[in-house]
Amino acid sequence: MRRTPSFEQRLATARLLHRFNFGPTPGQYTDLLERGIETTQSTVLEHGHFDSGLDSVAPLVLADLGPFPQGNTSAAMTFWNTIEMDSRELVMWWLDRMVVSRYPLTERMTWFWHGHWATSISGVSYPLTMQKQNNTLRTHALANFRDMAKAMVVDGALNVWLNNNENYIQSPNENLAREFMELMTLGVNKFTQHDVTAAARALTGYSTDQSNGNVTLNLKQHFSTPLVILGTKSQLNAESFASLVVSKDENARFIMDRLWFRFVSGSTAAPASLAGSFASRDISSLISALVHSTAWTNPANALVKSPVEWFVGACRALKVRPSTLNANDTQWELSQMGQLPFNPPNVGGWTYGQAWLSGVAYQYRFELAQSMVATGDLAPLSVSKSKMVQACADWLGVAEWSRRTASTLAAAVATPSEVALAALLSPEYMVSA
Amino acid sequence: MINCEFDRRRFLQWTGAGIFATMSTQLSLESLASAASDAPLPVNTPILVLVTLYGGNDGLNTVVPFTDPVYESARSNIALSSSQLLPFTDSLAFNSSMPSINALYGQNKVAIVQGVSYPNPSLSHFSSMAIWQSASLTGVSSGWIGRWLDTQPHNAYNAIGVGSTLPPAFVGEKSVASMVDVSGMQLPWGPVASLLPRLGRSSSSDVALEAAAATSITDLFSTASLLGPLIPKSSTGSMLGQQLSLVSTLINANVPTRVWEVNLSSFDTHTGEQGDQNVLLAQVDAAIGAFMTSIGTGSRSNDVTVMIYSEFGRRVESNASDGTDHGTSAPVLLIGNGVAGGLYGEQPPLNALDVNGNLEVTTDFRAVYGGLLQDILATPVSDIIPSWNTALSVH
Repeated sequence: MRRTPSFEQRLATARLLHRFNFGPTPGQYTDLLERGIETTQSTVLEHGHFDSGLDSVAPLVLADLGPFPQGNTSAAMTFWNTIEMDSRELVMWWLDRMVVSRYPLTERMTWFWHGHWATSISGVSYPLTMQKQNNTLRTHALANFRDMAKAMVVDGALNVWLNNNENYIQSPNENLAREFMELMTLGVNKFTQHDVTAAARALTGYSTDQSNGNVTLNLKQHFSTPLVILGTKSQLNAESFASLVVSKDENARFIMDRLWFRFVSGSTAAPASLAGSFASRDISSLISALVHSTAWTNPANALVKSPVEWFVGACRALKVRPSTLNANDTQWELSQMGQLPFNPPNVGGWTYGQAWLSGVAYQYRFELAQSMVATGDLAPLSVSKSKMVQACADWLGVAEWSRRTASTLAAAVATPSEVALAALLSPEYMVSA
Repeated sequence: MINCEFDRRRFLQWTGAGIFATMSTQLSLESLASAASDAPLPVNTPILVLVTLYGGNDGLNTVVPFTDPVYESARSNIALSSSQLLPFTDSLAFNSSMPSINALYGQNKVAIVQGVSYPNPSLSHFSSMAIWQSASLTGVSSGWIGRWLDTQPHNAYNAIGVGSTLPPAFVGEKSVASMVDVSGMQLPWGPVASLLPRLGRSSSSDVALEAAAATSITDLFSTASLLGPLIPKSSTGSMLGQQLSLVSTLINANVPTRVWEVNLSSFDTHTGEQGDQNVLLAQVDAAIGAFMTSIGTGSRSNDVTVMIYSEFGRRVESNASDGTDHGTSAPVLLIGNGVAGGLYGEQPPLNALDVNGNLEVTTDFRAVYGGLLQDILATPVSDIIPSWNTALSVH
C-alpha cells in the first residue's frame, strides 16, 4: 500500500539529494520518496563504483606549456591564448563531470574540497597545474584526511598560490604555513606565531615548477634541525608537519564544523558527538554520519545553493551537458554570479548564504536558466496542465511550492518552458530550504 | 590563426594589475541607486570620463593631415581617400567613421590636443600604457587617478571603472576605485520576464533565506524602475556603447562619482588597418554621440568632460600588410559642452621624424592631465604628478 510521503520526508529527501548529489535526475525524487529515507541515505552515499556517466566524459589532457614567455611576441600571444582555451576547457570538463555522474558524491566532495583548499588559477596561471590539484582532491575526496593533507601540503598549485616557492630559510614566507593551519586544518587561534615560524621552516626547500605543478625537495635548502610545533619537538618535512597537525583533536572538530557548515546548516552548530565518526580522519564515515543525522527535518537547517550547485542541479534535471552550452557565456555568467570553478575569490574560499542572493546576480541566473531551458529536456512537464505545477516540484526535488510560486507557475502552464524557467528562478529552487 | 590583438585584459595580466581588482569594491546597482538618492552629486560638480583605447590607435588615420603630401606617399596602402574624410580645417580632417565627433567639433565641443606623448616614447604596449596610467616615466606603481583618490575623503563612489577589472590608473597607494559591471544593467527579457516579479513577493511559508531570495528578485526590478527607462538595451550598440550608456545613465541619476573609466580594445592594427580601425572608430563615434546626446539633455550638461586616449600612435609609414607598427605621439580628444573646442598644441610634421620613423612629441600627456586635475578635479597638479607643474587647460 502506498502512503503519501509526509512534508518532513519530502524535505529530508530533497535536502539529501541537493546537498550531497547536486540534485535529483528526472524521476529520482519521486522514486526515492517511495522507497523511503533509508534508501535515500544509502543512495546519496554511493561512490567508488564504475560510473558510466563519468566514463562518457572524455579525459582532458593538457600540455605542459613551459615557462612564461618574454615580451610581446606572437609566440607569447599563442601562449596566452592556449592558457585561456585550456582554462575554459578545464572548467567545462569539471562541470560536465558533476552533471553526468551517476554517483555524484565524489564530484560533490571534490567540489567541497576545492572550496576548502581554495586555490585560484588567478595566482597559479597554469590550467594543467590546477587540474593536477583537482585530481588530487578527487583521489582523496572520501578517503583519509591525513593523506589528503599530506598530499596537499606538497601540491604544486597550492604551493604556488601560497608563495611557498618564495619560502627560504634566510627569508621565510609564512603564507602556506599559516593558511594551512588556520584555514585548512586547525582553525583560527588554535596555534601561535611561534608555530607559524617553525612550520614555515618545515616547508622550506620545496620548489614547484609552476607550469606542471611538479614539486621537488632540495634537501640543501630544507631546514633540517628539529622544530617545536604545537608543543611537539621533531625533525619535520612538509608531510610529517601535515601529519602532526592533523593528529590534533582540533583538526577533527575543525573539519567537522566546515562540513556541517557547507552541507547542513549555517545557523545551527554541529553536535559534538559527530567528532567520533572522524576519529580516524576517515572522510567517508564523517559524511555518512552527516547523512544519517537527525538534522534533515529541522526547518532551521536551510542553505542557499551556491551558483555552481544551482547550475549543476538544473543541468542534471534538464539533462544538459554544460559543454554543449556556449562556454564563454556560461563562464561569464557564473563568474558574474561570483562562482567560477578554479577561481575562488581568495584563500578563504567561497562566500555563503545570503551573499549569493543579490539582484545583480539574479540577472545572470536568469541568463543561465534561459540557456539551459532552451536546450533542456522538458519531458517531466509533459503532463496535463492541472498537474504540471506539482509535477515540476517532483521533477526538481522541491519539497513544496509556496502559494506565491505555485500561482506564478500556474499562470505559465500553457508553455512548459516558462514553467521550467520560473521554477528554476524561484526562491524555493535557489535555496535548499 | 593567431589572434594577435592586444587587449586590455592581457595588459592587466602582464602588469599584474588584475590583482588589485580583488581589493576593489564591485558596486551593485542597488548600492549605486541608493547612493544617488542618499548623497547625490551636487549640481555643477565637474565629472571626468576617461575612454581608454587599448592597442595603440593610429592618430594619423583618426585626425588626418590630409593635405600633407607625405601622408599619401608614406602610407599609400592605407591612406584615406577624399570620400573617407571629413575636413574641419584646410589641412585636417576626421576619419569619416567619426561623423558625430565631427559634428561636435563644429559646435566647439571638441578640443584636439595634437602630438601627445612623452619624452623618449616607449614602443611597448605594456611600458607605454603603464606610463600613461601612472603618469610617471619611472615606473611608479600607483595610478594617477588612484593618487587623486588618496587625497580625497574615502568614498566608494569617487571613481568607478566600468567592467570587471580595474585599470591601473584607478589604483592609488591607499585607495582603490570601485567597479561596476556594464552587463549589470541587463534585465530579464522575453515572455517570462513579466512573471518573474511575482516570484519576488513574500510568502508566509518562506524560511528566512527564501525570503531573502525573493527580496533579491524584487531588488532587481525596483532598481530598474529607479534608474528608469534609461537602462541600455542589451542587444544594441557596441561594448563601448553599452559602457558609456551605463555611465550616462548613472551620471544623469546623480550618482556621486567624479571620475569614470570605460575602454575599448583591439587598436593594434598591424594588418588590414583600414577595415579594423574604421569599425572601431565608428564604435567610438557612435558611443560618444549617444553619450553626449544623453548628457546634453540632463542637468549635468555642462559638468562632463570626456578624454579619449591610447598608449601610443602608429608609424607614419605603413607596412606591407596594409597596417602600421607601433609609433609615438597622437592626438588626445577632449569632449564636453564646457570644453573650449579647437586645436591645441602643434601637429608634428610628417617630414621630420625620429630615428624609428616616428612622429616627434609636441605635447607631454602630463600637461593634459594637469589641465584636467586643475579644471575638473580641483587638485594641484604637483600633488598628483611628481615634479610636474604644467597644465594645459581646455576649459
